[in-house]
Amino acid sequence: MKYLAIVSFFSMSLMAASPEVVQYMNELSKTAKVENSSFNGFDAVRGKEIFTSTHTGKQGKPMSCTSCHTVNLANSGKNSLTGKVIDPLSPRANPQRLTSTKEVTKWLKRNFMDVYAREGSAQEKGDVLTYIMKN
Amino acid sequence: MKTLLNLSVAAMLLAGGAFLYADDDEHEEHENHRSSRVAQPVTPQEKATVALYTKECGACHMAYQPQFLPKRSWDKTMNTLDNHFSTDATLDPADHKTIQNYLATHASKNDRMSDMKGAVALRISETPYFVREHREVTKKMVTQPEVKSFANCNACHTQATNGSYREREIRIPNYGRWE
Repeated sequence: MKYLAIVSFFSMSLMAASPEVVQYMNELSKTAKVENSSFNGFDAVRGKEIFTSTHTGKQGKPMSCTSCHTVNLANSGKNSLTGKVIDPLSPRANPQRLTSTKEVTKWLKRNFMDVYAREGSAQEKGDVLTYIMKN
Repeated sequence: MKTLLNLSVAAMLLAGGAFLYADDDEHEEHENHRSSRVAQPVTPQEKATVALYTKECGACHMAYQPQFLPKRSWDKTMNTLDNHFSTDATLDPADHKTIQNYLATHASKNDRMSDMKGAVALRISETPYFVREHREVTKKMVTQPEVKSFANCNACHTQATNGSYREREIRIPNYGRWE
């Protein structure tokens, strides 16, 4: 039983993103390299900074990804405007996360706009996805 | 065969449309409308569309029944999703089209904004109809954390997500029934 638990833990770690999302991240990686010749792979530490730092968002007010998602990605968050509960972002806590490229691209665009008032670069998107995968 | 199919679809649509006017709640007070219940999906295709609408719009707030606003309000909403109440709510183009069509098809046929001097409401709570129905609700009931704003229909209308707004289903947090 213990062995089974270990096996399932490892398979969950491997499946932090679905094949189509991994493919999407590979494309982001190629674009990042084109945009920045010194780019050397995505980085969860940079991703964490993108996720936790505060910026003047679309509403002209200080905003951070954590304003809605909280600092613990395994926990549920709350939409700061409507109060609606947001399921955990962490793929370990919520296996639905990072399974659909359509969902991932939709929310990355929306949420970069809401927090940064601009779209994210390929490197920023890959960094933040890497951070989410590791949490 | 094709005619028969078309007929049965028409019959199903009629049956669905009847929901708009069906109300078994005789003791409730309604002024300019006869229903506290809004239409339910009927065909499999419509069910898929409703599921899409509920998923996409319901991700951030209750997926309001389209019957609460006229078409011109929904068109304005759908044409400004890049700045939807100060957030980016843009959709994939195919989903955008499906949802806009769904909203247009099921929009209110009654003009619930006749007193708005030509303004087009984006918020259901701005419409004279809504204001009249909620005139006795105190500010404190609405702004308390459990409700937050009039946008959270389901905070008090316990069956709102099912399209039912009967008075007997109202439970205002910290206040109870509406009597």
